[in-house]
Amino acid sequence: MATVDSTVRAGAPAARDAAGESAGVGPYRLALRRLRRNKAALGFGALFLLIVVLCLCAPLYADQIAHTGPNQNHVTDTVTVGGVSKDVVSPTGQPIGPTWQGRFLLGADQNGRDIAVRLLYGGRNSLEIGALATLLTMVLATIVGIAAGYFRGVADGVLARILDLIWAYPVVLLGIALGTSLALGGIAIGPLQLQGNSLLVPAFIIGIVYIPYVAKPIRGQVLGLREQEFVDAARVGGAGPLRIMWSEILPNVASTLVVFVPLMIANAILLEAALSYLGAGVQPPNPSWGTMISDGIRLIPSAMHMTFVPGLMLVLAVLGINVFGDGVRDALDPRAKVRLEEQAEEASR
Amino acid sequence: MRVWIRGAAAIAVALLMAAAGCGGGGSDNNASTSGGGREGGTITVLMGTAPDYLDPGLGYTTQSAEATWISYTPLLTYRHETGTAGGELIPGLATSLPEVSGDGLTYTMTLRRGLTFSDGRPVRASDFAYTIQRSIRVNWGGKSFYTSYIEGAGAYDAGRADSISGIQTDDATGRITIRLSEPYGAFPNVLAFPSSGLVPSGTPMRNLSNDPPPGVGPYMITDVVPNRSFTVRRNPRFAGFGIPDIPTGRLDAVNVRVVSNTQSEAQQVLNNEADVFDAGDTLPPSLLPQIESRASDRFARVAIPSTFYFFLNTTKPPFNRLEARQAVNYAIDRDALVRLASGFLEPSCWYIPKGIVGSPEEAGATCPYGERPDLARARQLVQASGMAGTPVTVWGEERSPRREYVDYYTDLLNKIGFKATEKIIADAVYFPTIGNAETDPQTGFADWIQDFPNPADFYLLMDGRTIQPTNNQNFSEVNDPRIQATLNRLYPVPATRLESVASDWAELDQYLARQAYIAAYGAESMPKFFSDRIDFDSAVFHPTYLNDWSTLQLK
Repeated sequence: MATVDSTVRAGAPAARDAAGESAGVGPYRLALRRLRRNKAALGFGALFLLIVVLCLCAPLYADQIAHTGPNQNHVTDTVTVGGVSKDVVSPTGQPIGPTWQGRFLLGADQNGRDIAVRLLYGGRNSLEIGALATLLTMVLATIVGIAAGYFRGVADGVLARILDLIWAYPVVLLGIALGTSLALGGIAIGPLQLQGNSLLVPAFIIGIVYIPYVAKPIRGQVLGLREQEFVDAARVGGAGPLRIMWSEILPNVASTLVVFVPLMIANAILLEAALSYLGAGVQPPNPSWGTMISDGIRLIPSAMHMTFVPGLMLVLAVLGINVFGDGVRDALDPRAKVRLEEQAEEASR
Repeated sequence: MRVWIRGAAAIAVALLMAAAGCGGGGSDNNASTSGGGREGGTITVLMGTAPDYLDPGLGYTTQSAEATWISYTPLLTYRHETGTAGGELIPGLATSLPEVSGDGLTYTMTLRRGLTFSDGRPVRASDFAYTIQRSIRVNWGGKSFYTSYIEGAGAYDAGRADSISGIQTDDATGRITIRLSEPYGAFPNVLAFPSSGLVPSGTPMRNLSNDPPPGVGPYMITDVVPNRSFTVRRNPRFAGFGIPDIPTGRLDAVNVRVVSNTQSEAQQVLNNEADVFDAGDTLPPSLLPQIESRASDRFARVAIPSTFYFFLNTTKPPFNRLEARQAVNYAIDRDALVRLASGFLEPSCWYIPKGIVGSPEEAGATCPYGERPDLARARQLVQASGMAGTPVTVWGEERSPRREYVDYYTDLLNKIGFKATEKIIADAVYFPTIGNAETDPQTGFADWIQDFPNPADFYLLMDGRTIQPTNNQNFSEVNDPRIQATLNRLYPVPATRLESVASDWAELDQYLARQAYIAAYGAESMPKFFSDRIDFDSAVFHPTYLNDWSTLQLK
């Protein structure tokens, strides 16, 4: 997990950095300049953005081009391909392959559902879950990390042990355990009522299991920040703990949080796919890339497209956001890249 | 048994009754496996679904019965034969088929002498009474077969008695007398359930699936790793009992592994890396062409009397309304379900399947909902029921193609006006979950494979008396006075006279279809698929218990 150890004091001018940019420019503007120079990161970021836009257009594609929904079965329907009428699903259960036309562009699954439509809707679900889970992780991890680091003592002891507890449990196993149990009964915590098949359930699960991965580095950073003079100055000026955490600490960990966002999105998408593949994530018949891969497994020898297409989308999406995330990290903390290169050199010696 | 199991017997009843008078002869020798196979060896059976229980007092799926019927021999059992011959009842631990009193209420048998359980303890007549009590107490899914007919069994179940008054045993003579509260023509078949397979008195009255109790049979279940694997090992004591017509087994052991991916399961058998593809699983359509070309001498489709259907809970909206239930029946496209089953399904809208006395299809009846789906009519009926937009949770299993059935069915319910969502759960816990009153499911997948060849077996699931808080099998919670009255009239008819009431059963089944208590869609064929190591021809595919492991032998 990448972290950023450089901190920028709120309101302080940026010092000349490792890349040699001039002073007087804000740190985020500086980072944006560096990011613009990183063509690979921008290219992969654009790829991810393209996937997001395509997935957002799923209803449009379903209505105007494929003329079917993601869960609509067409088991006994036929489709005309090259002037020849073909079964969407053969009498022996074989689904049609890619037709390279509007209907069943990428073929059908065993229930005669349009794979292209499910791919886009599945992408929406995967991305929505990834985004929601990341939001949940970032918000809760920030609160927990800052509170633990700032208050130290008992509060830190309790919060850090809870984080250790979650950390100690393998992420996938914890996700499966939570996913399987919550898929049956849903979530009912006070006013929060979620049905078992709600997309918010896997988002909630993924969001929770990744909290320690963000909260612990934040806590470490805050432990150092709280001893800085600008925090003392705020305290002497009469600011309470909440105000200090909000206006002094949070801005200084913001760049770390920004670096974490794309990485957490990528991790969340991957975990969602894994959980859905294992039946503990998105519940059928709703599509996600993970459930689509799972559905296609038993037909791999004769209908590889059912597994290959969602698998490819998953790889592209995760690759796109990961490379972009690395670019963001390099832009916000150029020294991290230098450190990584030094470490690689040491390892190669 | 439910779901997958059961089987067979029926004809048995007929032959049983005929044989009852003459005391059951049987052949002189133990049933033997034919062919040039060899003695000994170990094979690997792959199962896509773990048995529901490996405790004979609880198991009720085919996966369970495959192991328990050769490890826990009841007083009566079935001939180890393929096809209708496998439905013939033969004496198991009893010396002969039962003597039945003229009023059909009293059954008398005698336990064979010199029997011991697999742990060496002697078998006594009182163990039979204990076994039945235990099955009731641990809440076996088919316990209503006992509680509804054996005198005092209902009181025992309700906790009003310490023992079952209708079962009298004498350990000294081995005499066992069973008194019924009302005549039940298929009762001899009840005595042949694996749940009636004797276990020692004092066996704990709780689920012992992880460490199955001793039994009397050619094999014994050992080394259980729940939901992962178990072994069925030859019982060295059994051959010495000399029980006619029950094979003593050729293999030393059968290792059973649960492989949730049927693709992998089939591929391993195709490549001879494992030996038996469990018949309760569905062959993946992608491998069918390869199997039929590369393994044609070790693969066969075997038709089994069975019914696959969606249950419609008649006590909960929206299916407490007749129009809503009929709408589902009008909407179902049975041809679509045939395709989802890769052709391993014969479409039908009747509950009693072909091959069972009383099948409306064999009587020439036409489906009241037509041969083709009628979505427009279905939508009208949903509107008329006032249930349009009602949320419906559809329950299903993970295994293929059952999940695909449920995916299709959920989409169909949405198309006709309901607001349906799915709840897919693990295969091993599916039936216990939907059979639990706390779950109280609205609708979902269900199936039934004959326990014995008698329509009474199928109508267990439509009998209001079988509704129970746990392990319920009457998922639609059907409690219809007309059905009850008809069952009360037809149940006592002995299997020997079953044909005389075939039209009554067919009429009852047509009434059931009109009431749309379920949405039936067909009967499945099952795969008999082995590796090259197994002697395919000599292996028995039993109509109730499917692959008969006690007849398997290596080439």
